Amino acid sequence: MIRVSTIGLLTLWMMAAPLTLEAEVRGEDPTEAKVRQIAKELRCAVCQNQSVYESNSDLAKDMLKLIRDKVSAGESEPQIRDYFFQRYGDYIYLEPTTGGMNKVLWGAPFIGLAIGAVALWSAMRRWRAKAMEESRSDSTRVETDPNLQARIRQELDQVNL
Amino acid sequence: MNNIWKLVLLGAVMAILLLFALGLQNDPRNIPSPLVNRPASDFTAPALQGGGMIKLSDYRGKWVLVNFWGSWCISCVAEHPYLMELAAKTRNRTDFVMLGVDFRDTPEAARAFLARHGNPGYPHAQDPEQKIAIDWGVYGAPESYLVDPGGTIRMKHTGPLFPGWFEQRALPLIQGATKP
Repeated sequence: MIRVSTIGLLTLWMMAAPLTLEAEVRGEDPTEAKVRQIAKELRCAVCQNQSVYESNSDLAKDMLKLIRDKVSAGESEPQIRDYFFQRYGDYIYLEPTTGGMNKVLWGAPFIGLAIGAVALWSAMRRWRAKAMEESRSDSTRVETDPNLQARIRQELDQVNL
Repeated sequence: MNNIWKLVLLGAVMAILLLFALGLQNDPRNIPSPLVNRPASDFTAPALQGGGMIKLSDYRGKWVLVNFWGSWCISCVAEHPYLMELAAKTRNRTDFVMLGVDFRDTPEAARAFLARHGNPGYPHAQDPEQKIAIDWGVYGAPESYLVDPGGTIRMKHTGPLFPGWFEQRALPLIQGATKP
């Protein structure tokens, strides 16, 4: 009886544990939520592909602190993102931006694909035209070359079977 | 017709290889700073060796070499002899000063560093929470900025300054600016 209730309590506790965890995130201070959102999109400048939020490096920790101070001071997300952009360039964004010169980078593959498609299409047209012309000229040559026909006949005549 | 296309293809392959070769020679640490040719952000911070506060804008009218360092930084040890040499060499210049920013550091450790490796004699600002460093877009140490007399950042150097840096990199800028 005691064991059953212990297991029951344990099960209840295990079911409740994730609930409390989630409740913590839900009931999180809105400032901290904003800090997390901003820090997750900024690159830790001294790490390999890690965000400021995830990194344990000193620079990232101080950046996180700075973001927290700025959020507390009432600065908006674009303002804070711009603060880091002004100092570190677009390298600081974990997600590449699509503005400015980067538009060329994003567009280039599609332009390349289009050029390739046009080139392939015109090349195929040329190949087909060439192949058709060749087959046509082959058959006509055999039919219309009297010299060749005469020569073949001559050769065949000389052969004694 | 066919030969022309072969040439075009050869040219394209060569161009890609050339770009690749050039790209390999880039220093991956040398990320271009957007701060170059922009006004330097002013700072006021306690001086490492006493003497009140250090304010960058107090040096307006002179070229300022702002050197970010820390006692924890190994490359700074390698850079230090050149900083000593440069400080001694430029001591009599009226148009050039040097300023250190000791960041993410404790004053005790920084003073011990200077006692051990030599004191170049120019002032150092303390930046324990690297607020100045982040404000200046610093990734690591050592990093140096050259600020012109008008307060505009004219150059950034990532990594240790090398012997001859002043003559090769800084002087052309300084002399270019004073010429009419």
